[in-house]
Amino acid sequence: MTWLQAMVLAVLQGASELFPVSSLGHTVLVPALLHWQFDRRDPTFLAFVVALHLGTALALIAFYRRDWARIVRALAASVARGKLSDDPDERVAWLLVVGTVPVALLGVFLEGPVRAFFGSTALVAIFLMLNALVMFAGEWLRRREIGAATSRALPLARLGWRGGGIVGLAQGAALLPGISRSGSAIVAGLLLRLDHDDAARYSFLLATPVIFAASALEVPKLFAPDASAVLAQAGVGGVLAALTAYASIAFLTRWFHSHDLRPFGWYCLIFGAACLALALAKVIS
Amino acid sequence: MKALALALAAIFFIIAFLYLFGILQIGTSHPGRHVSHFVLFAVLGILSLVWIRFQSNSAASLR
Repeated sequence: MTWLQAMVLAVLQGASELFPVSSLGHTVLVPALLHWQFDRRDPTFLAFVVALHLGTALALIAFYRRDWARIVRALAASVARGKLSDDPDERVAWLLVVGTVPVALLGVFLEGPVRAFFGSTALVAIFLMLNALVMFAGEWLRRREIGAATSRALPLARLGWRGGGIVGLAQGAALLPGISRSGSAIVAGLLLRLDHDDAARYSFLLATPVIFAASALEVPKLFAPDASAVLAQAGVGGVLAALTAYASIAFLTRWFHSHDLRPFGWYCLIFGAACLALALAKVIS
Repeated sequence: MKALALALAAIFFIIAFLYLFGILQIGTSHPGRHVSHFVLFAVLGILSLVWIRFQSNSAASLR
């Protein structure tokens, strides 16, 4: 892997992990478009990917550091008390626990079988288009709901436990390369009557323990004998992914104040269709 | 319910250690130790213990 390739992958990971456009899908499609060949099972490549994910997770923690401090305090207080109070932070803390369990179960048990999809560019492109349709459908259903007189947005702290679990399950769809974790979680949140702000915030907070735990468990790969060859690239790549991810969250949290998912849907649809056409024409493989 | 939570905690911890020592291989992609499976089931075990704590408290407040 050259330095240019490493830096492009780092920026791609940092941005696409949080934008609802599927980071997994992009790390398959963009190298295919550029005719870059990587052995995804190579220890040096795996170590590099671990560093990028760690960088993204640290950016998420840094951006929501005040929220996390309140959430962890509230969680510890409720466990010490052995009782739930009316504190919204406590409620959000337990919603994060409830939402993380299904995605952790799905991730641990299904990640291996789902890896088979990574080899097919055409399949990833189809999933990316499906991701677009999910976002369009979510926005359409949401707007139809808002049209109903009885419907009002629900604050995150008032989302039910079942709702928290449903958003967690929706995140699990992102195991498929091309389906976005944040996109599916935001759509699930919108359908459960959260507004865009809260749905995005819940999605980003939910992503933090998952990305952090998944990358922290893989940290030993960074110190594997073969990995020393890419340690410098992994270090710089991790920092670059963190900076890009931080900028992406800052942008997206502002974006969802007044915009919706549709522009990302159009992007996924057009990019997915273009990649599918190129894959069917055997221009990319 | 407290007994159920306790049983679940015990089951989750046993499963966690079976994965850690490589005895249990269900749902794994390669043979050997499975730290991520261990962490997942250990966390579920801890959550079951927290559930017991919450139940003890609600029973006490009902009395």
